[in-house]
Amino acid sequence: MNICSTVEKTVRTQLKRMLEAGCSFADVRFYDEDRTERLVLYDGNLEVNYQRWEKGIGVRVLKNGAIGFAATADLNAIPECFDRALANAEAAAQLLGFPKDMGSAQPVRGKYQPRFQQDPFAVPLPEKLSLLKRVDEKLKDNTVEHRMVSAHFQKRRIFYYNSEGTEIERWVLNTFAGMTVMARDKDGKAQRRSYELDSDGTGTRGFEWLANPQAFEVHTERIKRELGEIVAAETLPPGRRDVILLPGQGHLQVHETIGHPLELDRILGYELSFAGGSHVKPEMIGTLRYGSEKLNAKVMVVENSPGTFGYDDEGTPQYEYYLIKNGILVNVLCCRLDLGEANTKAGRVVVARSGASARAAGFYKTPIDRMTNVCIEWGNDGTLEDIIRATENGVILDMPVSWSIGSNREHFHFGCEIAWEVRDGRITRVFKNPTYQGHTLEFYNSLDMVGDRSTWRLFQVANCGKGEPNQIMEVGHGVPVMRFRNVLTGEGR
Amino acid sequence: MLETRIRNLLLEARDYARKQGLNAEFSFHRERSSLIRLGNSAIALSTAEELSRLDVSVQEGRRVGSWTLTADITSFDQLREALNRAAENCRNSLEKDYEPIFGAVEEPVDDTTGFDPRLETISPVAKSELCARVIKALKPRGTYDFSGSWSTGATEMYYLTTANDHEAYRKLTDGRLVLVLKDQVKKWELAVEKTQKRAGEFTAEEIIQEFEALLPIYEKNPGYKTEIGNQRVLFGPQAIAQLVSLCVWGGFFGRAYEEGRAFTSRNRFGDKIFSEMVTLIDDPTNPDVFGMPFDFNGKRRRPFPLVKNGIFTNVTYDSQTAAKYGKQPTGHDLNNWDLVFGTGTGPADLKSAMELAGNALYIPHLHYVHLPDPTRGIFTGSSRFNALLIRDGRPVAPLFSSRITDSIPNVFNNVVAVAARSVAQNESSTYERRAPEAQSVPAWLLCDQVRISDVADSF
Repeated sequence: MNICSTVEKTVRTQLKRMLEAGCSFADVRFYDEDRTERLVLYDGNLEVNYQRWEKGIGVRVLKNGAIGFAATADLNAIPECFDRALANAEAAAQLLGFPKDMGSAQPVRGKYQPRFQQDPFAVPLPEKLSLLKRVDEKLKDNTVEHRMVSAHFQKRRIFYYNSEGTEIERWVLNTFAGMTVMARDKDGKAQRRSYELDSDGTGTRGFEWLANPQAFEVHTERIKRELGEIVAAETLPPGRRDVILLPGQGHLQVHETIGHPLELDRILGYELSFAGGSHVKPEMIGTLRYGSEKLNAKVMVVENSPGTFGYDDEGTPQYEYYLIKNGILVNVLCCRLDLGEANTKAGRVVVARSGASARAAGFYKTPIDRMTNVCIEWGNDGTLEDIIRATENGVILDMPVSWSIGSNREHFHFGCEIAWEVRDGRITRVFKNPTYQGHTLEFYNSLDMVGDRSTWRLFQVANCGKGEPNQIMEVGHGVPVMRFRNVLTGEGR
Repeated sequence: MLETRIRNLLLEARDYARKQGLNAEFSFHRERSSLIRLGNSAIALSTAEELSRLDVSVQEGRRVGSWTLTADITSFDQLREALNRAAENCRNSLEKDYEPIFGAVEEPVDDTTGFDPRLETISPVAKSELCARVIKALKPRGTYDFSGSWSTGATEMYYLTTANDHEAYRKLTDGRLVLVLKDQVKKWELAVEKTQKRAGEFTAEEIIQEFEALLPIYEKNPGYKTEIGNQRVLFGPQAIAQLVSLCVWGGFFGRAYEEGRAFTSRNRFGDKIFSEMVTLIDDPTNPDVFGMPFDFNGKRRRPFPLVKNGIFTNVTYDSQTAAKYGKQPTGHDLNNWDLVFGTGTGPADLKSAMELAGNALYIPHLHYVHLPDPTRGIFTGSSRFNALLIRDGRPVAPLFSSRITDSIPNVFNNVVAVAARSVAQNESSTYERRAPEAQSVPAWLLCDQVRISDVADSF
């Protein structure tokens, strides 16, 4: 461990002190370096040139079945921070329900570093801006009224210690980027077409990913062309039809209606006052038919994803497991803290171990149940072209414009950038303003075609909001092309 | 005024920037936050954060660079490094096609009127005790569980620039309590929300009474699945605040307006765009809101009407948009505004409002709203806590989750009546830094022809 020796010594002493004070568990996350950079070019103007640097510690203690958390940026006040966390736990214990329990875990010593070639923070700003400017120039077109090109980089060095003896050093390195072109249609409505940096799940996460012209720049001509088609198109007429989701839309569908409802804290009711609950109950795990037999949702350890981080914020190493297997709900996203409560409420063991899903957005946020890489396994229904050929009356949808989901994730409404009509196995025309809505279980039970590996893409979500105090987290979703039958689409008044 | 030690460091940093010939803005944010989170009728989490953040921005002609530091500010060296980093970012930046308006504190501000030390230091034990009283009183009535959160804290914001010697300082306290009562068998959820500026602004008994006012109708009646189609809706405070936020986001941002992306873009000031019962104003002087007296371009914030009796009056311009489009900044270089939906002449209490409504849906809370089409102001969101079916002026059943997909202009043009009484609705978030924000909204808003686009079989 290369942690600053003074901090390390203090932390170890304080962890021991917490055990002596009656705590059954304590852990510390020390962010030695947490850097963020955001660059946004809007119509060629650098409207956001933001860099942030953070440093501090977050302390969590478990005493008498209650959790207390405290954080400080003052590294000279670490013992006081432990005291505040302890006092918070003692206060929480006065109104105790189901006692929190970390279970037992063997100490882990480890180190994790994502694969990258070029640290984005080591790349000079002019070089980054030059790339974005080049992309922006390529987006210029007579049909394009407004352009946006953005890049967002993160780099964190986190040391994790707990009272069980676990000590982990890990790095986080993320590269996000996107481009959007906008124009008004004949009705005066603003339309857009965009691309977000995605991958097939392989590769490296540094600046080299963004700088590879075949990864990012290559999409400029396509989105300009498709914007022209959207602007000239008619609005999608309302009605029931098959819906073919490309991964650009499918990843958000999965995020909102599989990922969030399968977070154990939502299932147990700990998010009710803010993000909402879940239509899933603990006793349904292992039996609920969530979707058709074609549906296989899995937490994957993808090589190139913001949802891959080695160890979670409780020190649990990441591993792969199914959430939904052949349509049946078999597991949920969880950390160590609430397993006992879930199993007790279910009346049997429904969650056997932590899913390595405890994640915090910064040193001053406490770990909560989070998505990591909630993916849909690719299927054997062929390529996108094969799925189109098999469709009589449907639309292909891509990229979200809006999303609104019921508080228990039981129903949803999505708006997308573009729809391609499919009639009798052929794409016939483009529609604008496509929307679709449905009920989660009914929708996934209508899944009847799942594309092969060639259709599977890993999309990054850089801004998943949840928790109180509120937290923004980065997650990944690998999804194939999926076809759903007889979905309510379009808007009619 | 800000603690002397840090203030002196920041003043020293400003002097240093001037000596270096830099146009620099310094914005310091300090929070002392605490939160208890409830789940399953117990405290699931108790947190405390003490954080300082410094934003430094440097402008040179058409170039701008910034640097944000979240760390304990202990020395001038830290500030000098932050300034140098921002200056380096500025030098390496790209020239804009317009010259940004450099920040200058318009007039000195030293405002601590919104600060209550008792609320800053309210203990998790005191919070726990109040929640325990509510739980103890109501849990035995049924198969009920409580969840929720209670966030309190103090926030300091201090802003100065090299443009002049003025300083702007604000210190305030804020709190937000949300308690959710869920029937574990029937699955419905009721919520009570409280917005705080000072300690002791509500009691456990008041919260109990609010729950008790709603419980009988939920306890005695099954959920009602309403019809898809246009219906009369009586909106409550949280839902109104959500509509106001969507309205401002979709219609009153200068950039969207100028670029033709706002639902107001085809209108001119003076046009009638909403019912004459709709008045919207960004008013930091309103007693319900937290009232930010300055923005982070140094503008003194004053009441800024957006819609007066249905007449389109203004759009807002942050300093960048103002520079880009040759307008004057309107004091909106900040995320948390002080929005006010003007009250009307309708009865103050909900019972009379329901009698006035006749047959309607009562939707006091909208969940997960979004604007699929900002150009037309089309929004969507679903009902949540405390929703009721109203028949013949009386609540008769709890309402299953119902989705509204309609346009802001349609809803705000079909206003039937507006409550005479206002309510403070807390809209704060704590995603990055503590940012107190509240709206002043009427206690209810009655609208006709609101489009219900989907209904669920559950709450």
